[in-house]
Amino acid sequence: MSIANTFYNVFVKRNSVYVTTIFAGAFAFGVGFDLGVTSFWDRWNQGKQWKDIRHKYVEAESD
Amino acid sequence: MAAFQLSKKALSLPPTVRTLASGVPSASLLNLNARAPAHGDHHAHGEVGPRSDTPAAWASKISTTPVGLVSTNYASAKPTGVFQQRLVHTTAVAKDTPQVPDFSGYQAKSESTNRGLAYLMIGSLGVLSASAAKSTVAEFLGTMAASADVLALAKVEVELASIPEGKNVIIKWRGKPVFIRHRTADEIAEAKNTDWKSLRDPESDESRAKRPEWLVMLGVCTHLGCVPIGEAGDFGGWFCPCHGSHYDISGRIRKGPAPLNLEIPSHDFNDAEGKLVIG
Repeated sequence: MSIANTFYNVFVKRNSVYVTTIFAGAFAFGVGFDLGVTSFWDRWNQGKQWKDIRHKYVEAESD
Repeated sequence: MAAFQLSKKALSLPPTVRTLASGVPSASLLNLNARAPAHGDHHAHGEVGPRSDTPAAWASKISTTPVGLVSTNYASAKPTGVFQQRLVHTTAVAKDTPQVPDFSGYQAKSESTNRGLAYLMIGSLGVLSASAAKSTVAEFLGTMAASADVLALAKVEVELASIPEGKNVIIKWRGKPVFIRHRTADEIAEAKNTDWKSLRDPESDESRAKRPEWLVMLGVCTHLGCVPIGEAGDFGGWFCPCHGSHYDISGRIRKGPAPLNLEIPSHDFNDAEGKLVIG
């Protein structure tokens, strides 16, 4: 209850603060979502992407 | 005998209790002075007491006579308008207070109850919507951007050391020819000393050539788009064979139908590698 009231008093009471918080949160969420999805993608496709197998071919070329 | 008559009276009640058009209840032989139930199981009905719809004393009177209970109605006010009695009706029963259910059990204890959570949910939805809107706009604008293969073709690099002084080189850039001339000192002096303010498209040589010894121009005649011939024409520059436009050694139009000087593409010099980058 007190956490909720603190949240209300800090972020919601002034609409300018509320909207600013929402936009900042949207930015942070976008970045975080991007990073999360990318890391999940890389883990899911581990060993299949060019950056994972590049060292094999680049070494072979330089030999 | 009397008892028989009494019971007979009681049986002959009028079938319908009705209200006269004047608003006075008409209920002969009925005691309308009845009281409301004493126990208060209904709320919001006001205090317990005599019925509010009891007719006034001047309207009716109840009396006990030897023949039984007698109700006398005095008032017989005439209706003031067209009176249509409705004995059978389906209209809702009029009640003196609206029957509102009791919501007190569902009401929040105080103003701050659930307020923080409600605003948190609203804000979270706002965050998600703003993020989705920004992503939509960004992706849409991304479809307008040039793709990687186009960007890779958009720039051309030329080795400057391979062009000797006083020579023209023509390269292809974005599907158009580009003239690169390594000008001699005489040509630079000539280009600079021209009275360019009186030309058809007045431009100084300094504004056309980033470095005086290198002149980089689009090789497209500004008249109708032919490719001019280098080291030709009356002014020692370029000459367009299609309609006879003469350009000087700075690529400025001097004679003929072309309206503008030869166009200068955006270019840069990479001194570390001795290269010219066009685009």
